[in-house]
Amino acid sequence: MSQASKRAAEAIGIQRSVRRNLGDQAIRVVLFLAASVSVVTTFAVIYALSSETIAFFADPAVTFREFFTGTRWTPLFPENQQAFGIAPLVVGTLNVTFVALLVGLPLGLGSAIYLSEFATARVRRTIMPILEVLAGIPTVVLGYFALFFVTSLLREVIPGLNLFNPTSAGLVMGFMILPTVSSISIDSMQAVPRAIREGAYALGASRYEVVLKVVVPAALSGIVASFILAMSRAIGETMIVALAAGQKPTFTFDLRETIATMTSFIVQAATGDQPMGSIGSRALYAVGATLFVITLALNLASGQIVRRFAERYE
Amino acid sequence: MSLAHRNDADRRRQEAKRARGRTFVAITFVPVVLALALVATLFADVITDTVSWQIVEPAYTTESWSFTEGFAFFSTWENVVEKELVARGEDPAVVLDDPEERRKFRLRNRVELLWQLDGAPLRYVVTSSRDDTVADYGFFEGLRQLDAIRAEAGEGQEVRLNPWLDAAFLTKNASRTPVMAGLGNALIGTLWVIGLVIVFSLPIGVGAAIYLEEYAPDNAVTRFIELNIRNLAGVPSVVYGILGLYAFVRVFEFGPTVLSAALTLSLLILPVVIIAAREAIKAVPPSLRQASYGLGATKWQTVSQVVLPNAITGITTGMILAVARAIGETAPLLLVGAAAFIPRAPEGPLSTYTVVPIQIYSWVAENDVEFAHVASAGILVLLAVLLVLYGAAFYLRRRFERSW
Repeated sequence: MSQASKRAAEAIGIQRSVRRNLGDQAIRVVLFLAASVSVVTTFAVIYALSSETIAFFADPAVTFREFFTGTRWTPLFPENQQAFGIAPLVVGTLNVTFVALLVGLPLGLGSAIYLSEFATARVRRTIMPILEVLAGIPTVVLGYFALFFVTSLLREVIPGLNLFNPTSAGLVMGFMILPTVSSISIDSMQAVPRAIREGAYALGASRYEVVLKVVVPAALSGIVASFILAMSRAIGETMIVALAAGQKPTFTFDLRETIATMTSFIVQAATGDQPMGSIGSRALYAVGATLFVITLALNLASGQIVRRFAERYE
Repeated sequence: MSLAHRNDADRRRQEAKRARGRTFVAITFVPVVLALALVATLFADVITDTVSWQIVEPAYTTESWSFTEGFAFFSTWENVVEKELVARGEDPAVVLDDPEERRKFRLRNRVELLWQLDGAPLRYVVTSSRDDTVADYGFFEGLRQLDAIRAEAGEGQEVRLNPWLDAAFLTKNASRTPVMAGLGNALIGTLWVIGLVIVFSLPIGVGAAIYLEEYAPDNAVTRFIELNIRNLAGVPSVVYGILGLYAFVRVFEFGPTVLSAALTLSLLILPVVIIAAREAIKAVPPSLRQASYGLGATKWQTVSQVVLPNAITGITTGMILAVARAIGETAPLLLVGAAAFIPRAPEGPLSTYTVVPIQIYSWVAENDVEFAHVASAGILVLLAVLLVLYGAAFYLRRRFERSW
């Protein structure tokens, strides 16, 4: 091959690799844009919530003081009967969440311990998919079940139980959060190394002592994180409460009363015809912002606990 | 203390310890049983609710006129109503003066031109267009008290077992009348919305996963993106609805359409898709990539021809599970304007729409015995679709799971 043709071939090669590099660069940019959609989403959520919430508080009828301390919430009422204390919605949410956690946490943790430590591989392989199905049942279906099955059952046992009440909603929601608690807890218990368990066995501990006094404490950060995540899911759950707990904001801790939660108010305000820019539609955003801040704080706390307190095994 | 004594105490202590162990295992087993029992009860409840015993008054022919008589007479609809009601011994004014009553009468009765073989060939007849439900009993309740129900049924009424979920249920549209209600438009709406959700979320989700696994440098920007994805996965779905309402329905002015719904649900499932796709890509061993580079492949050639084909099963599984979630989502769509009653099935991204879970919600919210049956029929269809999807995901996961 002559010197010239060699040089020409080299030039073509360089051109090719430059083109290839440019192509790769373009692809890289496109992929980066795809990844940044989630950042844009976060900012869009924050912008949408805060701009309308600021407009809500700018309204002369609304004061910060009333919002945080008032005990009546009636923004969808005619103008002269409106009240803007968010407490009834927060208390309603707490009622449902309390029942849900009362049911969901022990059941979730118990089933996690059984599936992680006692079940045979075959039992685990059969039951885990069923728990996944439970986690995947649409919440509107769970709401139907709470309203038509659980409530009618409970009304025979609990006197004075309203048709819409936080007890049935919370009970069913407890089962909704069970798979969240159990799957994360199972993961953290499985991460406890074999050597630690065997050390305990060598000291004469029985199987349940190893589980209760070694595995569970070692996995505690994951278990607590799963509890907090489950709480955040219970607070943000919408359809079960919208159908089974009612849409009447009431400041009460009586678990038989019809109540409203933050999420069920959002549904109520969105499905009624609130004209855009009206105080009712802005109240929806203010409640949404409150809900967003609470769940975000819980999610961040859950993540922090995993990172800060996770046992590290070298 | 004698040796025998000590042995005895030891044995007792060990026995007690073993008993505590057994109790503990039993205690942890109870939640599993409860969870399984709940799933079983839920399915059993939904299935039995799709059939009910009903006392019905069958559709009947009330009047019949000859063609010429009928033609002259039926030129105005009011005449039909009047004649029909007088024949029944009721006051026609009650129906004719009240728009709501008129609407009901129209729903319940129809005037037909019948071709008859015997007698005068062409006749007009007025029929009540559907069976009239007198009473409704749940499946088990009806089984227990069938004789009592039979005794309760009056002259000309019959007792029958009504299956709410039949083939027609899948094509009938929303209706104020329980027996006429079905999933028709909602199924088409769900297909449209989910189709678009896949179109939006698959490329963006997989693209983001490829970037984070294969391209992203380990720096603050990358960590910030990852933090965002993690947090978005925990944001309640109703908040995505608020975002969709604000951004897509109002600011971009797409209105309460299929497009707004699909964009909202896409953002909702994006974190799930990204996390699943990242797992799948991470599972492809580095040695395959290095072999590809060794052959002179560029980064993108390696990703598109080595990594992705090997991660495709994991990505598909994750996508199926994410789509299953999107199909059942109700709350965000209530905010982005899904309406329970839409006159026509959606014809494009900018049509108004309804979807299956929204129909179910509106039926449950009716809080009516018969609509509860309609809701359970809808739920059974929804759960069947989801079970097929979960089955497919589990199958893929088991079938193609491989270790390197």
